Amino acid sequence: MQKQVDLNRQLPERAGYIPVSGAHLYTVLHPVQTPRARVLLVGPFASERHNSYLPWVRWARYLAAANMEVLRYDYRGIGESTGAFGQMTFTDWQEDVRILANWLQQRSPGLPLILHGLGLGAVFAGRAFDAGIGDALLLWSPPANANLALRSALMRWVGLEQIFKFGDDRRSASDYIRELENGSPLEVDGYFWSPALWRSSFDFDLPASLHADQTRFDSATRPVKTVRLTRDASPLVKGGIVGYDDLKDFRWLYAPNCEWIASVVAQCNKGVAYA
Amino acid sequence: MLESVGNRRLFVLEALGARIQGTCHLPAEAKSWTTPRTRSENRLGVVFVNSLSLPRAASGDSAVQWADALAASGFPSFRVDLPGIGDSEGTTSTDLLDVINAGGFAAVAAAAAHELVDRFQLSGLVLFGHCGGSVSALFAAAACKECKGLVLLDPYFHLPQAKRPRIREELSGWARRSKVGRALSNLYDRARNLKLSVRGSVLPANANTQLLARWKQVAGSELPILLLRAPGIKANGPKPRVGEFDYIEYAVKTAGRKSRVSLEFVQDADHSFANREGRLAVQQHLHDWLARCFVPQASPSNPEAALFPRNLDHQIDNKKPANAPADMGCVVRGN
Repeated sequence: MQKQVDLNRQLPERAGYIPVSGAHLYTVLHPVQTPRARVLLVGPFASERHNSYLPWVRWARYLAAANMEVLRYDYRGIGESTGAFGQMTFTDWQEDVRILANWLQQRSPGLPLILHGLGLGAVFAGRAFDAGIGDALLLWSPPANANLALRSALMRWVGLEQIFKFGDDRRSASDYIRELENGSPLEVDGYFWSPALWRSSFDFDLPASLHADQTRFDSATRPVKTVRLTRDASPLVKGGIVGYDDLKDFRWLYAPNCEWIASVVAQCNKGVAYA
Repeated sequence: MLESVGNRRLFVLEALGARIQGTCHLPAEAKSWTTPRTRSENRLGVVFVNSLSLPRAASGDSAVQWADALAASGFPSFRVDLPGIGDSEGTTSTDLLDVINAGGFAAVAAAAAHELVDRFQLSGLVLFGHCGGSVSALFAAAACKECKGLVLLDPYFHLPQAKRPRIREELSGWARRSKVGRALSNLYDRARNLKLSVRGSVLPANANTQLLARWKQVAGSELPILLLRAPGIKANGPKPRVGEFDYIEYAVKTAGRKSRVSLEFVQDADHSFANREGRLAVQQHLHDWLARCFVPQASPSNPEAALFPRNLDHQIDNKKPANAPADMGCVVRGN
C-alpha cells in the first residue's frame, strides 16, 4: 500500500523552454531530490488544455509528492509554447513527445520512464510507446484516432456556442464538420483548424495493440494501463463548468494511478526487463 | 532549459508569500535593459491577470498575442498566474468565483504589480482583466498606487449564480431550441422588464456593492479606463437582454463627471474575445486608447512605429471564418 501523498508540501517547479525545430516548447519540470522514476505528461490538446489545466498541474504535483520527477509541457503553437498553431501537424506534435522523452531520460538514464497521455495526448504517448520509448504507459481516455479527439473538442465548443444562439441561428456540429470537409478552416475556441489538420486526423491512430482497454502488467511486455474517465473526471474529459469542476478534489483518480505507476517502478527496480 | 526565447522571458516573483509564475513580453530595445533607468523615462507596463481559473495564456492563447503586440509597440507586458491558478503555487478555493467577487485576489495582484514595477524599473502599470479577471483587476487597481490605467473586458458588477438549478438549465436549453420556447422566453423577459421599469435605477439585489464602491473610487480618481463589451445572451447590441439591469450603463453614470472611462462595444466578439474578430478589436481599441491616454513609447530603433500592427496575418494565418463562435463556458454568463 502506498503512503499518503502530502499535497500541501510545496515542491520546487522549474519552467523553461526546450527548443524543437522552428519553435520552443514551454515545459515545467517538477524535480525531486532522489526520484524513483520520471514521468512525461502528454496533456490535453488546444482548447482542452485550458479547460483541464488545474487538475493536470495538480496531478503533476501529486506525482512529484510521491517522489516521481515529472515533466509537463505545451504542444508547439499552443499555450506558452511558441510557433503558429495553424502551421503545425500531428507529426510535429508527435515529435515533441520524442524530444522531451529523450530529454527527460537523459537526466538519469537508469531510472524508469513512464509515459502518460490524456485524450489526444494519449494517442501521442501511445505512438511514442509503440515506437519503443518509455518503460510503461498510462492512458486516460485514449481516442482510437485524433479525429475523435477533435470531434470531442468541437462538440464541447458547439455546446457552448449554442448557449448564445436561438432557433435557426443554432448550428450543429455536423454543419461545422461539413464546412471543414468542404475545405473551409474553422475557428474553435480561438484555434484555427485547417481542413488539412482535419483530414490528417483520421489517419493519426492509436496503435492497434493499445486499442483494447487493458491493464497489462506482466514480465513479457512493458506495462500498460488504460483508464476510461467518466463525467466525474470533468474537466479532464468533456463536461462540467470551467472555474468549478477544475477545482474539485481529484485524489480518487490520482491515488490509484499513482499507485499503479509506483508498482511498475518497483518491478523495474527489481530488475524485471520488459520486452 | 531556457528562461527566455525571443522577446519572452519567464519569471517568478514572490507576492505576499506566494510564488507567482509569469511570462513577460519585452519590447525589442529591452534587451539592453541591463542598467537601471529612472522611472521618469515613462516605461509603462501592462499586466494581465487570470480570468477565473484559466491559465495566463487565456482562451485561445489570446493574452499571448495581445502581450506580443503590446511589446512590439514598446509596452512591456506581463502575464501572471495568480496563486493557485495556472503554474503558480497555492491552493485555490472551490468557491473561486466567490473569492474573486469579494476581491480575494486584490492584495496579491497589487503586490505582484508593485514587485514588477520595482524589478523592471517601470513608471507604472496598466492592469488588464477579462470577465472574472476584470473584477480582480478592478479590486487590485483600488489597492495599487502603481496602477496608471485599467482595461476591463466584459466586466460584471453583479454576483452571478455559478451553478443554476438543473431544471432551469433544461428550460433554458429548450427555449433556445424551440420556437415556442423562444416565444415564452421573450414573454418572460418582458415581464422582467416591467418589473425593472417599476424599480427604476435602483440596484438589483444581486449587485456586487463592494465592487461598485471600488469602481466609484477608481473611476472617480480620473484613472483612464478602457471598458470593452461583447454581445451577451439575447442582447440587443450593446444593451443587455431585455429585463436585465444595465450595470455597465449604471457604472458609467456613477463614475463621475471627471472620470476617464472609454466604453466600446465589440459587435463580432464572443465573450472570450478570443475569436479573430474579438482579438483584432481588442488590439485596435488598446492601440487607440493607449495612444490617447499615455505617451507612446517609440523604440529607438523604430521611432515611427505604430503602437500596434493593424495586420495580424502573421499571427492568425488563415482566412476569416464565416462564423463568430461564442462563449468559453464562463459561469458568469450563467452557462
